[in-house]
Amino acid sequence: MIEVRNLTKRYGTNLAVDRVSFTVEEGTIVGFLGPNGAGKSTTMNIITGYLSATSGEVLVSGKNTLDEPLEVKKLIGYLPEQPPLYMDMTVKEYLNFMYDLKKVKLPREKHLQEICQLVRIEEVYNRLVGNLSKGYKQRVGIAQALVGNPPVLILDEPTVGLDPKQIIEIRDLIKRLGKNHTVILSSHILPEVQAVCERIIVINNGRLVADGATDTLSHDLSKDHRLLLRAEGPEREMVHAIRALPRVQEVISLGEKEPGVFEISIETDPNSDPRRDLFALMTRRGWPMMALKSMDLTLEDLFLQLTTSDNAAVAEEYGDEMDHAELLQGGKDR
Amino acid sequence: MRAIYKRELRSFFNSPVGYVCVAVLLALYGFFYFQVMAVGSTGMISWIYSTMFSFSMMIIPIITMRSMTDDQKNKTDQALLTAPVGVASIVLGKFLACLTVFVLASTLALLPAVAISFFSSPPWGEIIGYYLGTVLYGGAMISIGVFISSLTISQIIAAIGTFVVAVALMYIDNLASVTSNAVFHAVVGWISFNTRYNVFTQGIFSISSTVFFLSVMAVFVFLTARRLESRRWN
Repeated sequence: MIEVRNLTKRYGTNLAVDRVSFTVEEGTIVGFLGPNGAGKSTTMNIITGYLSATSGEVLVSGKNTLDEPLEVKKLIGYLPEQPPLYMDMTVKEYLNFMYDLKKVKLPREKHLQEICQLVRIEEVYNRLVGNLSKGYKQRVGIAQALVGNPPVLILDEPTVGLDPKQIIEIRDLIKRLGKNHTVILSSHILPEVQAVCERIIVINNGRLVADGATDTLSHDLSKDHRLLLRAEGPEREMVHAIRALPRVQEVISLGEKEPGVFEISIETDPNSDPRRDLFALMTRRGWPMMALKSMDLTLEDLFLQLTTSDNAAVAEEYGDEMDHAELLQGGKDR
Repeated sequence: MRAIYKRELRSFFNSPVGYVCVAVLLALYGFFYFQVMAVGSTGMISWIYSTMFSFSMMIIPIITMRSMTDDQKNKTDQALLTAPVGVASIVLGKFLACLTVFVLASTLALLPAVAISFFSSPPWGEIIGYYLGTVLYGGAMISIGVFISSLTISQIIAAIGTFVVAVALMYIDNLASVTSNAVFHAVVGWISFNTRYNVFTQGIFSISSTVFFLSVMAVFVFLTARRLESRRWN
């Protein structure tokens, strides 16, 4: 549906987007992830035709944005970083204006009413946009993108400025929209992308640094495959027994974390899963397993690792996290 | 184009800007009407229109100053430029909205002449000439004002810039008379809005002047569209 080829955008000497290429299939929700200033908005502005690329091209539904700009613009609904609202209009006037501007052919009243129901702005329909709260403004911005029911939606940080309840609503809305729209949304909030998107594109300093399905991305990219086990039993014997298991490379005890309970790091062969063997072993020997966690990078770790060069900080951070999380879990089990 | 035109026009009259521009112009017309008729005790109604012409030029920067600046400042240009409309229709919609406000004020300014016509017969040829000339000159000035407002995101700069151009165009003829340089005279003759305008004030409908003013409008609408387009490439 959307094909981006070698997109480059240069502002003077500053390279904002550097040879970014990706394709988005019809009916998928893609998350555009990156720190502030990574080039997310610029890329989106180029796809929507607001900016033009220094080089490279964008095809939407097979149409080139440069050759057929108006045709492409008809296919895209765009919510920019700052919603493009006219403060001196009421929501009703504004949506009618967007309806006219986009030359929509759908039945006017019914279509606008549907959109208002969808993003829950019926109660402010006759109020001035300038007097609305930030959350409502954001939702009117989303409504504006939906006018004309375009097959492609590009949403630049759609949940900014919303309260937690609204954020959940908007995420659900995007998920629902994703069933019959192609959606690209940008965010620097990881749980959001994780919750909503099927696929993630990570962009940093204008470069595409990772691209994959949300679930597999963190698994594929983590270099080591480790399990973290917490079990009650004699430390040295446990380490020896586990080391003897097939597909296990390295076993290190991380010390006693609770009375009589040791934490053991198990490094395994890539793409192998010794968890069942491990379980069988521990039950056979009568060593209760208190916790077992796969040390695949979480998205957060991955993000930090991809966007910073300081990997040491990442490793340290997730060691800590494990401690807290597992302790809680251990408490619950008992 | 129609959507943008409607929105712009509505925004003029949703805010005080449109009313103030029209009301101030009409108040001034009324004052001069009174002065010329009662105090001056003369029947030369066309004097009113010749004096008022320069005042109406002063109002134009106020009308055009926000046409392009606001969109850029409030980022609403993102909605316009990503909608399936060409830049030319965006500019044309805004230009026509400004022109409508100006034409409205100029048309209402004919009321004194209409009032006179109940009691005697005013020189309609000259009056219509003034009216047409003012609308054409104003249209050209508005296109320049819209272009200047596309160069900046500050309304103040847009207004002052347009004001300076308006004043310069009015006095450029006087400037030419102080030198005897033939080339300079010729150049001023070409770009002088006044000489084109003066034909109308004699009650003559000049096709060449009409074409001149319409061309100026077309050129500046085109330049503004190019300017919008060029922002995409920065």
